[in-house]
Amino acid sequence: MRIYEFVNQIHSKIQIGIKMKIHLYQIAVIIVSSLMIYQGLDRYFKKQKNQSFLKLLIRLIVWGGMIAIVIYPKASMSLAKIIGIEGNINAIILVGFILIFLIIFKLINAIEHLEQQISILTRKDSLEEIKK
Amino acid sequence: MKIYIVIPAFNESSIIQDVIREIQKAGYEKIVVVDDGSADDTFSKAQELLPNTVFRHRLNRGKGAATKTGIEAAKVLGADIIVTLDGDGQHDPSDIVKLTAPIEFDNFDVVLGTRLLNPKGMPAHKILANKIGNFFTWYLYGLWVTDSQSGFRAYSRHAAEVINTKSDRYEYDSEVIREIRKYKLKYKEVPITVRYTEYSMGKIQKQDFLTGLKTLYKMIWGIIS
Repeated sequence: MRIYEFVNQIHSKIQIGIKMKIHLYQIAVIIVSSLMIYQGLDRYFKKQKNQSFLKLLIRLIVWGGMIAIVIYPKASMSLAKIIGIEGNINAIILVGFILIFLIIFKLINAIEHLEQQISILTRKDSLEEIKK
Repeated sequence: MKIYIVIPAFNESSIIQDVIREIQKAGYEKIVVVDDGSADDTFSKAQELLPNTVFRHRLNRGKGAATKTGIEAAKVLGADIIVTLDGDGQHDPSDIVKLTAPIEFDNFDVVLGTRLLNPKGMPAHKILANKIGNFFTWYLYGLWVTDSQSGFRAYSRHAAEVINTKSDRYEYDSEVIREIRKYKLKYKEVPITVRYTEYSMGKIQKQDFLTGLKTLYKMIWGIIS
């Protein structure tokens, strides 16, 4: 009896799966996101330079979140509710903008830091003779 | 007291020797020139007159970076007072004494040459741009000065040791104002004359509205980053 019920359950689940329409973009996002998560985990566990738990966590949230929204589009409604914006697409766009802004902020910071390092190096080079 | 004159120069080959000679005529022999990666022969022209005190940035890093290199060099050479002035000949070396005297005799740390206490001959758009610069310097760094963008300044040894700027470009001048406030340095503003020759005006035009906006953006970025 139990075996019969189990087989029935599996059968109905497969039918649901078949009925679900899977679009090409969903497969692409899942593949790319999985690769990015794999890369992050690989770097973290191989303890490569400049890899921190925070970086891994951000990677998991960003790419994992994309997989979650692609598989369960309704999850974006919960996101909209949490942020307090009507409309799930608006919420996703807002989160996207914030993320892009953070990335740009980080990039400009890195460039500024590099610029300063170049100036320090240029100064050391020009004053080399005098400091001998 | 050892007074060193620091001149940051970028593509000033046609005028740098005149600037150096004029400073020497005014009675100052200790001159440091920093060629900020010029594409012309500014370096060799300056070196003809100053064989041992001309330094070269391999890359152009900006007026602020070149001035800082010059100040570092002057410190190594044992300067007691360091005067900075532009390499385009707009500053009159006979004003140097006005800048060094308060440090030498009245224990001031920094003396700022200001064009706006005597703006005779200064173009109206320059006056306006300067006032905008002063406003933002005051708003962002909390110290009101009448000419926040002047490159003609004098520093005591103590001021040169404590002032730590990070800006490479034109925001350097405002950053010095921030450091004056930060370290509670005793400062004074003295009027200077500026010679707006065709040559120096040509250089000044390069510091156009866009450069002004860039400078402002850099100042804001320096605060939020």
